Amino acid sequence: MSSSVNPAEFGEGRRARRRTFLERGFFDDSRRTMAVVISIILAILVLPPIGILIQQSLVETAPDGSFIRLTLDHYAKLLDDPRVFESTWNTVQFGLGSTVLSLLIGGILAWLVERTNAPFKRLAYATTIISMGTPYVLYVIAWLFLLGRAGPINDIYRSMTGSFGVLINVNSMWGMILIEGFLWSPLVFLLLGSTFRASNADMEEAARMSGASVFDTVRRVSIPLAMPAILALSLFVFIRAIEAFDVPALVGTPAKISVLTTEIYYSSKLIPPDLGHASSFSVILLVVVAVLFYFYSRISKNAERYHSVTGKGYRPRLFDLGTARWIAGTFIMLNFLIVLVLPLSMLLWRALLPYLQGISFKAMRSMTLDNFTSVFESVYYLEYAWNTILVVAGAATLIMILTAIAGWIAARRGPCGAILDQLSTIPLIFPGVVLGVAVMQIYLRVPLPIYGSLWILLIAYAIRYMPYGMRYTYSAVLQIHKELEESAGVAGASAVTAFRRIIAPLLSPALVSGWLFIFLIATKELSIAILLASPNSQVMAPAMFDLWVNGQSGELAAFGLVWTVVMTLVATAFFAWARRQGQDIFGS
Amino acid sequence: MLEVKGLTKIFANSYDGIAGGIRDANFELPSGTFFTLLGPSGCGKTTTLRCIAGLERPDSGQIAVEDQVLFDDTNGISVPMNRRHIGMVFQSYAIWPHMTVFENVAFPLRVSKERRYDNAEIVRMVEEALETVDLGGYGERPATKLSGGQQQRVALARAIVAHPKLLLLDEPLSNLDATLREDMRTELKRLQQQIGITTVYVTHDQSEALAMSDQIAVIERGHVVQLADPKEIYFRPANEFVARFIGSTNLFTGTVAGAAAADTVGSVRLDDGAGIHCLFPDGVANGTPIAVSVRPENIILSSEGSPVPEGHDGLAGTVRAASFLGTTIRYEVEVNGEIIKVMTPPDISLDPGARVNLTFPPRAAVAVARSAEATAA
Repeated sequence: MSSSVNPAEFGEGRRARRRTFLERGFFDDSRRTMAVVISIILAILVLPPIGILIQQSLVETAPDGSFIRLTLDHYAKLLDDPRVFESTWNTVQFGLGSTVLSLLIGGILAWLVERTNAPFKRLAYATTIISMGTPYVLYVIAWLFLLGRAGPINDIYRSMTGSFGVLINVNSMWGMILIEGFLWSPLVFLLLGSTFRASNADMEEAARMSGASVFDTVRRVSIPLAMPAILALSLFVFIRAIEAFDVPALVGTPAKISVLTTEIYYSSKLIPPDLGHASSFSVILLVVVAVLFYFYSRISKNAERYHSVTGKGYRPRLFDLGTARWIAGTFIMLNFLIVLVLPLSMLLWRALLPYLQGISFKAMRSMTLDNFTSVFESVYYLEYAWNTILVVAGAATLIMILTAIAGWIAARRGPCGAILDQLSTIPLIFPGVVLGVAVMQIYLRVPLPIYGSLWILLIAYAIRYMPYGMRYTYSAVLQIHKELEESAGVAGASAVTAFRRIIAPLLSPALVSGWLFIFLIATKELSIAILLASPNSQVMAPAMFDLWVNGQSGELAAFGLVWTVVMTLVATAFFAWARRQGQDIFGS
Repeated sequence: MLEVKGLTKIFANSYDGIAGGIRDANFELPSGTFFTLLGPSGCGKTTTLRCIAGLERPDSGQIAVEDQVLFDDTNGISVPMNRRHIGMVFQSYAIWPHMTVFENVAFPLRVSKERRYDNAEIVRMVEEALETVDLGGYGERPATKLSGGQQQRVALARAIVAHPKLLLLDEPLSNLDATLREDMRTELKRLQQQIGITTVYVTHDQSEALAMSDQIAVIERGHVVQLADPKEIYFRPANEFVARFIGSTNLFTGTVAGAAAADTVGSVRLDDGAGIHCLFPDGVANGTPIAVSVRPENIILSSEGSPVPEGHDGLAGTVRAASFLGTTIRYEVEVNGEIIKVMTPPDISLDPGARVNLTFPPRAAVAVARSAEATAA
C-alpha cells in the first residue's frame, strides 16, 4: 500500500505546477503574492456594489428589510411608469445639450490657446485652475444667484423693459444645460489642449506650404486629425453629464424636471425607501454607462493612433491669426468673465450682504462681514472642512498605494495583470448616486460599525476614484524603461524590493499628481456624500447643499468662497507639479 | 564555466506565424572565456542571453554555471533571476536615475540574500569596482549627471561589484558614438581579462565580435550555425550566411567537380561553366551544390592579358566603379553579369570600363555550404 503514489506522476504533477506558477514573470513568487493580495482587495471593494444592486433589484422585501421573494416586478414597474420615459428623455436632452455647449466653449478655447498667437492665454489657465478648486455645488448656486428670479440679469431686464416677468427662467432645461455646459468647459479645455499640443505641426505646415490658408488648414487638416480625440472626449463628457447630480438636483428639481440620477436619489430617500426601484433603475443606468464606455474605449484607442509622438519640450508652431487675434483675445476674455468672474463676484456680493438683494447702490450700504465672521466662529464649518480633508486625503492615499502596485503589475503584464486592470477600471461605470445607493445598502447589512461614520465615505470615494489613480500609475509605469527593473532583478532584488527601491521612487511624481487630482475632484463630490454622510460625519459638498436648501445662502456664499480659495491653492500646486513633471520624466 | 544544452525558447507571432526566439542552442564555455552571440537583429541572440539571465523562461533545455543548475526543464528547476548571482549590463545601461553612482553600484550588495554585507565592506567593494572601471571618486555624483560612456562604466561596475560567476553584456556599445565605441571595445576586453570572468556578449556588429571574442556563436534565425574562434569564423565560414555576415565577401555558386577530402584543395564547376579551385574545410561528395567565398582583399587585379600567376585561378571582367578610400581602393568588377567586389592597394589605378583579370590563390577561396533559402531560390 505504500506505493500508492506513483513517483513519476508525482514528479510530473509538481513540475506542471511549478511551470504555471512561474509562467509569466521572471521575478520570484513575491510579485505573484502582491498581485493576488491587491486583486483580492480590489475585488472586495469593487464587486459587492454591483452584486448588491442586482440582488436588490430582483427581490421583494418587507418594510423591515426582510426577504419575501424573488421578482422581476421592479423592472416591470419601470416599463409601466411614464415618469421613467420622461426622465430618460430629459437626461438625453440634458446630456447632449451640455456636451455640445462645453465642447464648443472648451474646444475653441483650447485651440486658440494652444495653437494660435491669441492674447490673454493666462486667463484661460486661471479659469481652469480656479474652476478645479470650486465645488460644483457652489458653482451651480452662484449661477442660481445670477440667473434667478431676483438675480441681476432679470433685474436689469425688468428695469429696462418695465415688465414684472423674467428674461430667463433658470429652473428649466435650458438653464440646466447652460450651467452644466459652463461647468464642464474648463475640463474640455484642459483635455483638448493636450491633444492640440501633441498634434504634429509638420502636417499643418505642409498644408500651409501647399498653399492653404489658415482657415483651410484648420478645416482640412487640423480638425480631421483631432476628430477622433474630439469624438472620444464628447462621449466622455456625455457620460459624465448623464451621471451628473448637482445641476439636476439644484436647478431641475424645483421645476420638477427629473433625470435618471435624481429619480434614483429621491426614490432612495423616500420613507420607507423604495430600494427595489432605485436598484433596478441603477442596474439599467449601469448597463447604459458600461455600453457607452465600451464605445468610448474603442474611439479613444482610435484617437491614439492619430497622436503624433513628439519629443520632450516640443512645442508646435503657432498659427498667426493676424488682426483676428484680437477677436480671439475677446473670446478668451469673455470666457474668463462669464465662466469665472461673474459667478464668483455674485457669490462675493451675496456673502457681503445680510440677506439676498439685487445689485444696487442702496444694497451696498448694508454690506457687512457678518457672514464671514459667523463662518469662522462656528465650529461646524471647521469640522466639515476637516472631515472632508481627512476622508478625501485618506481615500487618495489608499487609491495611490493600491494602484501603484496594480498599475505596475498590469503595465508589465505580470501575474493577474488583466484582472487588476479590469477591477480597477470597473468603477468608471458607476454614477455617483448609484455607487452611493449601493454602498449604503452594503454597509447597512455588513456588521461593521462604519455606517454613518467617515469610513463609509472613505471607502466609497476610494471605489469611485480608483480608475483615475490607475490611469496615472499605469501610464507612468509605461514611461519607465523596463530594463531599470530587470537590472534590479538580475542584481539580486526580489520583486518587492525592486518595487520599493526602484519602481516606487520613479513613480513618485505620478503618484503625487494622481493624489492631488483625486483630492481635488473628490472634495467636490456631492452625489455619493449626500447619500452616505450623516450629521456625525458631514462633509463639504452636502453641507453646502443643506445650507442652500435651508435658505442660509449668506453663510453658504462666505463659506464657499473661503473653501474655494483654499482649494485653488491645492489646484495651483497640482498644475505646477504636473508641469514640472512633464519636463522631467524619468527613465526615457 | 557556463553550460547550455538544448536551449529552446520560441515566440509565436500572432500576425503572420513567423516565430522568433532560439532553437536547440548548445555551448559549453571554460571559465574566463569571452563568448559572443553574433547575428542580425531578431535572430535570437538576445533571447538566449535573457534566458541565461533568468529574464525569460526557456521552453526547454538546461543552463548551468559552475556546476550550479540554473534551469532544467526535465526536473522543473528554475532559479529566479535574483538568485542566479549573475552580473549584467543592459543595452540602455539601466542606471537608476534617483540614486547616486555609489548607490547604483552598491545595490547588488544591499539586496543580497546569500550574504549580509556590512557597511565598511560595501564601501570597500563599491570603491574597488569603481576603480576597476576608472570611475574612482565619482561615487557621490547623481546618476543623471553622467555622460553615456560614464553610465556604461557605472553599469559595468554594478555588474561586477558582487563578484558574479558570469557576466552578461547586451549590446553595451551600441548606444555610444563611433570613437568612444572603439576605445570601450579595447577597455572592455582588458577589464574582462583582468577580472578573468566568463562573459557572454551579444552584438550584431561583426567587427566587435572579431576583435573581442575568444569564441563566437553565429546565429541565423534561431539556429546557431557556427561556433568557433574568430579566425575560424572569418576564414572558414560554415555556410553562405556566415560568409556574408562576417566581413565582406564574394560568393560564386557551382557544383563540386570530383570528391574532395577535408582540408584539401579541390575543384568546383561554377554555374557559368568556368572551373576554379578552392579549399574544402570539410569533405564533400562529387556533384554537391556549393558556394565559393573569396574575400575582396584576396583578389588581385591586373590588366587584361597579364600572365596569371602559377597555380592561381583567373577570371576576366570589366571595371564598373572605383572608390578611393585612402588606404585601399574598392573596385566593382563585372564578371559574367555579376558584380565582384575587390579591394586593392591604392597604387593600382584602373578606370571604369577597363578590361581586367581577377586572380586569387586557391587557398584564399573557401567552399561554403549553400544556405537553405539560397538553394531553394
